[in-house]
Amino acid sequence: MIEILSESALATVQDLGRLGALSWGVGVSGAMDPLALEAGNLLLGNAPDAAAIEVQIFPFQVRFDAACAFAVTGGGGPVRLGERELPPWWCGMAAAGEVLRLGVPKRGTTHGSRAYLCLAGGVDVPPVLNSRSTQLRGAFGGHEGRGLRRGDRLAAGTLGWGARPLWFGIVPPSLTLPCERDGLPAVRVLPAAEYDSFTPASQQAFWAEPWTITPQSDRYGYRLSGPVLEAIAFRELRSHGIVPGVIQVPRGGQPIVQMRDAQPSGGYPKIGTVIDADLWRLGQAPIGSRFRFIEASWDEALAAADETRRWLASIERLVGLHTLGTGGR
Amino acid sequence: MPIAGIDQISAWLAATDITELELTGPDACLRLTQGQGGVVAATQPPAPPPPAAPEMMAVVASNVGLFLDRHPLHDVPLAIPGARVAAGQVLGLLRIGDLLLPVAAPAAGEVLAVLVPHGTVVGFGTELIRLRPLPE
Repeated sequence: MIEILSESALATVQDLGRLGALSWGVGVSGAMDPLALEAGNLLLGNAPDAAAIEVQIFPFQVRFDAACAFAVTGGGGPVRLGERELPPWWCGMAAAGEVLRLGVPKRGTTHGSRAYLCLAGGVDVPPVLNSRSTQLRGAFGGHEGRGLRRGDRLAAGTLGWGARPLWFGIVPPSLTLPCERDGLPAVRVLPAAEYDSFTPASQQAFWAEPWTITPQSDRYGYRLSGPVLEAIAFRELRSHGIVPGVIQVPRGGQPIVQMRDAQPSGGYPKIGTVIDADLWRLGQAPIGSRFRFIEASWDEALAAADETRRWLASIERLVGLHTLGTGGR
Repeated sequence: MPIAGIDQISAWLAATDITELELTGPDACLRLTQGQGGVVAATQPPAPPPPAAPEMMAVVASNVGLFLDRHPLHDVPLAIPGARVAAGQVLGLLRIGDLLLPVAAPAAGEVLAVLVPHGTVVGFGTELIRLRPLPE
């Protein structure tokens, strides 16, 4: 069991998402950085889709009631277990009574805005529609369908590697799977159904100009500011199914990227869709930061997904070899 | 000094190609040598214990890997000469593929020197960092 010591309505229980429920109007939810969640689980020998705590406001503190293996991945500031500082993307073993503190990122040193606290066996909340993710709009899933509060207690599942010393980490994927263009972070985008409804100048500006993530950005969607995107003729569409990654352009010409808590339908014209393999990069991009869109083909999107799978497979293999060597499972 | 089980160990050794076996315990050191005349056993008193308060403590590589004096996301080295460090504190990292293993302080101390440059491939047992032990 762990007890939440911080008042932190924006920390939620998330897994890889509630997939397969869009047809009932239920959004996918899940970790904004699924790569960090999955890598944290691999460090612990958990199932890749085990639930963890997504933290986006720091500092964030928990106390362990009993000895528990844990991993902290993703963004955020310095992490301390008691007096010991953990390197980023690291796993450790907490003793009963120990306090884990995810600190405030130092200005200018942020390597991501969301941290994942994974526990051996995964955070044990009841699955709803095959997922433990918090569905904030519907107020179900996760811990009582809401963000975590001070005093909440969460149980972990059964131990992945078992009780043994754990103290190692991995190189973050921002370094091993970089994606940049002209000195700015970038995400790859497939042109969407209404791409041709935008003027050639707007299409060109969409790829060429940097975009800023405005403060009106959260788990539901990111509102961007940049060049105004003009449609040849504004089209009102019937509401239709949309997924995380879809980039809509409402009348003002400033795009919105749908994120994990997006509603499953919308009617604005879509200029593009951020590929699945790059959504984690946006999930970690802080408010106020700038990035670029890179045009991608279907084949490039699939190749990027394969590259991500290969990275995760190599992490799983290396962690397996290392834990075997130290008398793991 | 008689040691129980020498005959059994000698018999096991005779069945192998191993020519020399040395076992050290708290009370004695046993050396078995296998030659043409069979297995010969010799016992010695144990080696003297190490000095109680060594002036220097070596932190060695626990694995083959690439030595990193700082985390790949950070600009500042983990161990800076003159700094006091706690037992277990991470003083450097060994990179093996994308895995990062800690180079941890075996005891509390003061960093005297980081002996290996950032980004060097090191072998098992390579001395990486030197500490002067200090009481916690």
